[in-house]
Amino acid sequence: MKRALLYLGLALGALVTIGPFLVMLSTSFTGQSYVLQLPPRLFPEHPTWSNYSDVFGLDNFARYFLNSVLVAAGHVVLVLLLGSMMGYAFAHFDFPGKRLFFGLILGALMVPGVVLIVPQFLVARDLHMLDSRIGLVLFYVATQLAFITFLLRGFFASVPRELAEAMEVDGAGAWRVYRSLMLPLARPALGTAAIFSFLFSWDEFAWALTIINDPGKRTLPIAIALFQGQHSTAWGVVFAASTVAVVPVLVIFVIFQRLRGAGLPAGALKG
Amino acid sequence: MTATMHDVRPVGTRPTGRARAARRRSAKQKTLTAYAFLLPGLALFVALMVWPMVQALRMSLYHWNILPGAVSEFIAGDNYSRALHDPVFWRGFVNSAAYALMTVPTQMALGLLVAVALNRKVAGRTGWRTLYYLPVVTSWVVVSLVFKYLFNTDAGAVNWLLGVHIDWLGNRWPALVALSALGVWKGVGWSMLVFLAALQQVPRSLLEAAEVDGAGPARRFWHVTLPQLRAAMAFVTVMLVIGGFNVFISVFLMTGGGPAHQTETLLSYLYNQAFTFLDFGYGSAIAYLVTMLIFGLSLVQMKLFRYGEEDQ
Amino acid sequence: MRSHRLRAAVAATAAACLLATGCSGDSGSSGATGGTKTIEFWHAYNEAGPETKTLNEVVIPAFQKAHPDIKVKAVALPYDDLHQKLLTSAAGGTLPCLVRSDIIWVPELAKLGVLVPMDSQLADFEAIKNKVYPGPLETNKYNGKYYGVPLDTNTRVLMYNAKTLASVGVTAPPATFDDLRALAGKLKAAGKSMAFADNGTSGWNLLPWIWSAGGDMLSPDGTKASGYLNSAASVAGVQLLVDLYRDKQVPAIITGSQGGVETSQGLAQGTYATILDGPWMFPIFEKQFPDFKLQTAKVPAGPGGSISVVGGEDLVMTASCKQKQAAATFVEYMLSEEAQLAMAKVGQMPVLSTLGSQLTSVQSYYGIFAEQLRTARPRPPHPQYTKMEDILSTEVQKAFKGQQSVQAALDSAARQIDAIIAAG
Repeated sequence: MKRALLYLGLALGALVTIGPFLVMLSTSFTGQSYVLQLPPRLFPEHPTWSNYSDVFGLDNFARYFLNSVLVAAGHVVLVLLLGSMMGYAFAHFDFPGKRLFFGLILGALMVPGVVLIVPQFLVARDLHMLDSRIGLVLFYVATQLAFITFLLRGFFASVPRELAEAMEVDGAGAWRVYRSLMLPLARPALGTAAIFSFLFSWDEFAWALTIINDPGKRTLPIAIALFQGQHSTAWGVVFAASTVAVVPVLVIFVIFQRLRGAGLPAGALKG
Repeated sequence: MTATMHDVRPVGTRPTGRARAARRRSAKQKTLTAYAFLLPGLALFVALMVWPMVQALRMSLYHWNILPGAVSEFIAGDNYSRALHDPVFWRGFVNSAAYALMTVPTQMALGLLVAVALNRKVAGRTGWRTLYYLPVVTSWVVVSLVFKYLFNTDAGAVNWLLGVHIDWLGNRWPALVALSALGVWKGVGWSMLVFLAALQQVPRSLLEAAEVDGAGPARRFWHVTLPQLRAAMAFVTVMLVIGGFNVFISVFLMTGGGPAHQTETLLSYLYNQAFTFLDFGYGSAIAYLVTMLIFGLSLVQMKLFRYGEEDQ
Repeated sequence: MRSHRLRAAVAATAAACLLATGCSGDSGSSGATGGTKTIEFWHAYNEAGPETKTLNEVVIPAFQKAHPDIKVKAVALPYDDLHQKLLTSAAGGTLPCLVRSDIIWVPELAKLGVLVPMDSQLADFEAIKNKVYPGPLETNKYNGKYYGVPLDTNTRVLMYNAKTLASVGVTAPPATFDDLRALAGKLKAAGKSMAFADNGTSGWNLLPWIWSAGGDMLSPDGTKASGYLNSAASVAGVQLLVDLYRDKQVPAIITGSQGGVETSQGLAQGTYATILDGPWMFPIFEKQFPDFKLQTAKVPAGPGGSISVVGGEDLVMTASCKQKQAAATFVEYMLSEEAQLAMAKVGQMPVLSTLGSQLTSVQSYYGIFAEQLRTARPRPPHPQYTKMEDILSTEVQKAFKGQQSVQAALDSAARQIDAIIAAG
């Protein structure tokens, strides 16, 4: 009886959780004449592929997708590299200015992204990074570096110093300790960090909306948001494009979940 | 970068001297090594995060002329006093605070509830967990549009299900409820995951001991489990409050801060001032006020939870 | 071996970054390569309808055939996004060479100092001046100079769903304010549809009602709102809409609510009996609602007549344009009969007076727009128009919500707009 209640509750919650996804999916198969009609239909009366063919018929849609992939790839690689180096330095070395630098990092964790958008816009202008995908990648990396550093520092700190010292006794330099000991050990943490940073980049909206002008450089979130016009939103097309953007992420995530449970900032739960 | 690494490698040290060499490695060299590791990241971080932060402070003291090369007028604290006398700024503040108040406790309670449920022996636990986490990994842009569609006045699923006819997105408080509903829906999975991880670290022995002492499930949860979740609670609260004041995309896409700036939040107002009216100085002043607010709130919460004491 | 992984990582990063720019192909916005001059052109021709397609597949190829040394890079931006993009890019120094700007933004851009006067750029501005309609031309004027040329013109007319009207026994679209009130009464009794829908309270939305009621926004010399925007006639025009809204005969999207069914959707589905909209909507309706028969009439007349609002776009050149001569060549082409006719086929009303007689043979729906344009009026050209409109819109929305009377709303708006004009 109690277990039945438990499963009933879980199922109810799950229904609320996936409901909006189902609406998105079903609307993406609905023609414009039939969207927003009551009662809402989970299975469209006249299902159609036309929204999807509209989406893929757009000159730029493949480009948007590719842009998102490229920006995300550049971001993940760079932020993991720089973040793990910084995390390692903070975890295993004592040096003048450590408290100051780490304080800056912690402070940055609390600054909402949009807050810096105005001055960052001017910096990007001076660096000629407006309307450029490099501008997206570098600012994404800078924005997420604090979080990734914090996350990985927590992990590196949990690696006993003796391990590193043993390697150093064998003549290994700090770089080698970092590369051959720390990085392999940190693989699970790196995986988590990779997921977080991938999602961040895949999802980022305000910065890309502000600096990207050329439709050929748009990422998916911008493209999808701009499908939604004030005068004639083609909801079916919007949701077809959304589905195309979302489904790969969900699939990757579910596979990743099967491989290992989604991790967390390890250090965060201590204390 | 590679060259720097060569410097820190003990080139040509002989096996016999290794141990001593390692021990004797001067503090100075260690410092250099650390800096070498920090440099690339820190340089980027300072250039694209810290420097803009400084720049924003400067801009907030000017009537900033946006054209490249133009001269701006220094107006000291005028932008700040303008914000403090601007009813829309305060409305944005109240809206952001209301959003945080509506979403944070709800997300925590629901997240904890699901986490406790999944911490039992449940068939297909990974499946449930993944499912509840799906909204977290879904793009804000996409879910904002989906919720806008669901909260449609005349033909939205929400009004239909509730059997009402509410103009959700056209009025201030209903719109905040709709935005919060999205916030909670998207966020429950995240707090669930944190709590689930924390629950799994609660020592079985403690629970068993309490059971031997005759404590029922409710008492065990209240007196044994919950105190063990203090750190997780603190972490979740701090992050969610920051996230609450960070709300932007959903506002931007679901209401645009309208109608008549009724649903403006701090960040949407900042963005509009900067990029619709090109008032970069005023936008920067708002940015500083928001940042100080969030810093203050986070510090207070950390003190309250005594979070991070053992850290560092 | 040691730094192998590092190198791999760096290489991967570099590759990703290179790809990130490299795959764009055409990165320079206005550079000259190998004798070819590239000019970038921003516009908000819609992509929901066939406008952008026509520009890219008919107009630009025809131009490039005649001018193989000039490459036009057309960038389509959504209308709702374009104004902000223009301002942001002015700040960022990333404006393109040419912009198809809404007529109401030209004074603002000119005042910002990012445009060059078009009359100094075109070889024969007088010739162009003489062949376009004077009304659209004047929208380019700021401080005595023409900062652009008109590109297309339009106005809003009444679009209606005949089936919805017939469902309450009405056979003709509402021709007057009173007809509209009567229609609302019948529809209310039937309880299925609403009489009229619009998606906001900006000048574009409100001014047809204010003018038709005999009111105005500013004094004829453009120096004062008080006494005009809050006159009894202006109040009456807005009051009509507020009354219908209170009667639930105008949906909440007029108050800026984003949660309603859009005007075009509602009209096609029969939930809205009438809307006001422009000629570009015909191709959109045709595509999105192929089964719906769109019908039009003049804006319902009030004591001031049937007076709609002039819309349209101008073509302006930026000061930062590096290929001004090539850009001027393109501007001249866009005002040729060939280009104007091509865009006319997809709902863009030409500005050439010489084409006036052919219009209805290009698209029969232009008849009503040409007729409505005879009395239509422009929104007041002012660099701060966007701000004025924000004030008007915000105050009137409060009247819709019942937080203040229409009179109080327009009094307050007039006062604030006066302050803006006074501040220059």
